[in-house]
Amino acid sequence: MPLRRRSAERMHPNRRSSPKSEKTVGTAPSGLAGTRAGCGVDSGGRRWEQRWGRSGKRPCTRERPVAVASPRTPEDERGVDTAIWFLTFAELRRAKLRFAMLTAAVALLMFLILFQQALQAGLITGFVGAIRNQSAPVLVYSVDGQRVFQASVIDEELEQLVRDAPEVDGVGRLSQTTVTVTAADELVDASIIGYERGDLGAPTTLVEGRLAETTGEAVAGIEDASSGFAIGDTVVVEPGGTTLTIVGLSRDAQLNVTATLFVGYDTFTETLAAQSAGGGVPPPNLLGVIPADGVRNDEAVAALNALDDRLEALTREDAADGTPGVDQVRQSFAVIFTLFAFVVPLVAGLFFLITTIQKTTTLTVLRAIGVGRARLVGALLIQVVVVTVAGVLVGTALFVPVVVADATSLALRFEVRTIATWAALVVALAVVSALIPARRIMAIDPNAATGRAGIEP
Amino acid sequence: MRLGLRELRRRPGRFAAATVTLTLLSVLVMFLGGLLDGLIASATGALRAQDGDVIVYSDTARANLARSDVDPQTRATVESTEGVRTVGGLGFVQLGARQAEAPPREITPVVLYGYELAPAGVPDAPEAGAVYAQRVLESDGVDVGMTLLLGPARVPVTVVDFVDDLEYSGQATLWAEPGTWREVLGANQPDTAIADGDFQALVVQTDEGSDPAAVAAAIDDATGGATASFTLEAAIEEIPGVREQRSTFNQIISVTVAIAGVVVALFFALLTIQRLALYGVLKALGARTRTLFLGVLTQAVAVTLVASAGAAAITLAVERAIPAGGVPLEVTVDRLATSTALLLVAAVIGCVFSLRRLQRVDPATAIGGSP
Repeated sequence: MPLRRRSAERMHPNRRSSPKSEKTVGTAPSGLAGTRAGCGVDSGGRRWEQRWGRSGKRPCTRERPVAVASPRTPEDERGVDTAIWFLTFAELRRAKLRFAMLTAAVALLMFLILFQQALQAGLITGFVGAIRNQSAPVLVYSVDGQRVFQASVIDEELEQLVRDAPEVDGVGRLSQTTVTVTAADELVDASIIGYERGDLGAPTTLVEGRLAETTGEAVAGIEDASSGFAIGDTVVVEPGGTTLTIVGLSRDAQLNVTATLFVGYDTFTETLAAQSAGGGVPPPNLLGVIPADGVRNDEAVAALNALDDRLEALTREDAADGTPGVDQVRQSFAVIFTLFAFVVPLVAGLFFLITTIQKTTTLTVLRAIGVGRARLVGALLIQVVVVTVAGVLVGTALFVPVVVADATSLALRFEVRTIATWAALVVALAVVSALIPARRIMAIDPNAATGRAGIEP
Repeated sequence: MRLGLRELRRRPGRFAAATVTLTLLSVLVMFLGGLLDGLIASATGALRAQDGDVIVYSDTARANLARSDVDPQTRATVESTEGVRTVGGLGFVQLGARQAEAPPREITPVVLYGYELAPAGVPDAPEAGAVYAQRVLESDGVDVGMTLLLGPARVPVTVVDFVDDLEYSGQATLWAEPGTWREVLGANQPDTAIADGDFQALVVQTDEGSDPAAVAAAIDDATGGATASFTLEAAIEEIPGVREQRSTFNQIISVTVAIAGVVVALFFALLTIQRLALYGVLKALGARTRTLFLGVLTQAVAVTLVASAGAAAITLAVERAIPAGGVPLEVTVDRLATSTALLLVAAVIGCVFSLRRLQRVDPATAIGGSP
């Protein structure tokens, strides 16, 4: 019981003997003329007092009632805590639609963020996964290739320069072409990457089978296995009719968002020759390089770039990140994620600010009966966290079927670390957004309960 | 309705938070739309400008210009197909362009087209060795009269004028007569499969009154399946990635618009709860639910319009601030209008959530009855 009455009595010991609120200040009870009728707080937060039988207001000189509160026992504190918890969750239960709508907004935002995060990762992996996940630590392009695998051409003179460089231990040719292949009776686009040495250009993410060992063998991506690129399947390159048998599957080793086949260099040149009647063997597109003992990758890159203005050596990571288009994708998504980072706290902040304003009277009464600011702010934060976490969970659950259904042509992943990071960020942003309504709670004056809350005029 | 507008005028602060949130969501919708338009435009600009009704590729090219090869015999068959009026060859090569005085590592990626039928916005083919350059190259210091050295073989071509909006895959384009294209291609990619007399695609103008789709089918029949012909619109859609980009972005935009609807619903539901007593008084005075709902609707529409206008200004500013070659953002009036319309629909649907509560408002509350 007793909690509310006891608190009120402790907080306002004079209140029970105060004049009734319905009496007017103009008709003073016997013997009270000129004595204090009561204090109030105006809309600007100033405290005024009025006296019996006198008109007009003057600044209130009476001490704030909260100042005379007596210490509460630990049992009282627990009682208050229980009451606040009860009120916090009771509100969530009673205003289901309101909180469900906020949960839905957070869920949709979380879903969109996760979808776009996966899209960005899938797009970049689809673009340059084959460069990032191949074995050559250093790649040498021709400057004219502008960091595009197929556009680069290394002629004999440049190749010899690289092979003779003292910073280089091993060199292997790498070439790529984009073709149409028949896989599972369907014509599809495919990239074929030919590598001369297994340690310079072969996929490093083999998950099934083995690397190509003889002419006519290829390693495909596991992402395309169900589209006629599974182990044992054969694909036919059109035109030319070269048949390639899939002997292994790699992960995240696509190029240009197409099915990508890693083959030996002989297979590659034979495929090209079959496509162009009378065409000779073209020079390699790239050179894969292993730096000499004691030479770091970046040192080898610097040394090779100093050899000739027509050469552009890059570490594997720089080659992947520097491929045209990758930066554009990153920049575009960065703008989108930044906008989301503003939208999440704004939506949550707007909601809790309005609900706080709506509850101001109730909160004022709670303050007046002795509930501390920290408890009320705590209650607000509990609601923010509960609703946001629910939204995050629903949004994540919405994302699962998109990944499972493989709804896009990209390999979208359910990456726990990414999801956990975004979940934490969304909850943190929502909590930060609660600072505005929290500030409003902090500013509530319990004395207002004696005026606008109706306890006293 | 007037009451709603008056409240908006007198207490704009009450709607500020919702307006800011909606503005950001509108920026997201418009930015995503602009990004989609930019990506599509940069991938399809050169094809969209073609002055033809049908595009003919070789059968295994899968509508990819880089992999297509149409020989002179096939061209002759196409020319003799019923419904075909004019046929023009189209060739293409991607390479780097150097300015004569620039350092050797300073290269601009370009696409050189060789054409017979002038695309929209491009004059008739210039003389051998001359090119029209896309205006975007001006930002790289290219000027009329300047010589560009193309590819590792550094074949010189002279810029004779600028043309607009003809990007390919985000790269600037150069337009030359077929002989110049062949020379550049042969010098830089001697092992290419494109033989003399071949083109990578044919641009077909059909007879007046004929159906381009029927002519496309007739061409493929006449060539015995050696060609894959598409109407211009279909050819644009067939460009690798275009369909996927469009569907993915449209899904994202739809969800963002749905979020905007939820935000509007949330905001006006809360505002309605706050004003229940006032609505009780208004109902006691004879106002109907429809009138009250109209007021809420007016406010939602006004807030959405203000947010959309702000978002349009921000999106346009972002577009201007992005350097050439950065994010491929293309903001058009159509896109801004479509986005605003979508947001308005979402706002109206969002408002419907308040209708139920308005219907339940009891006029008795105005005279002290329990709600």
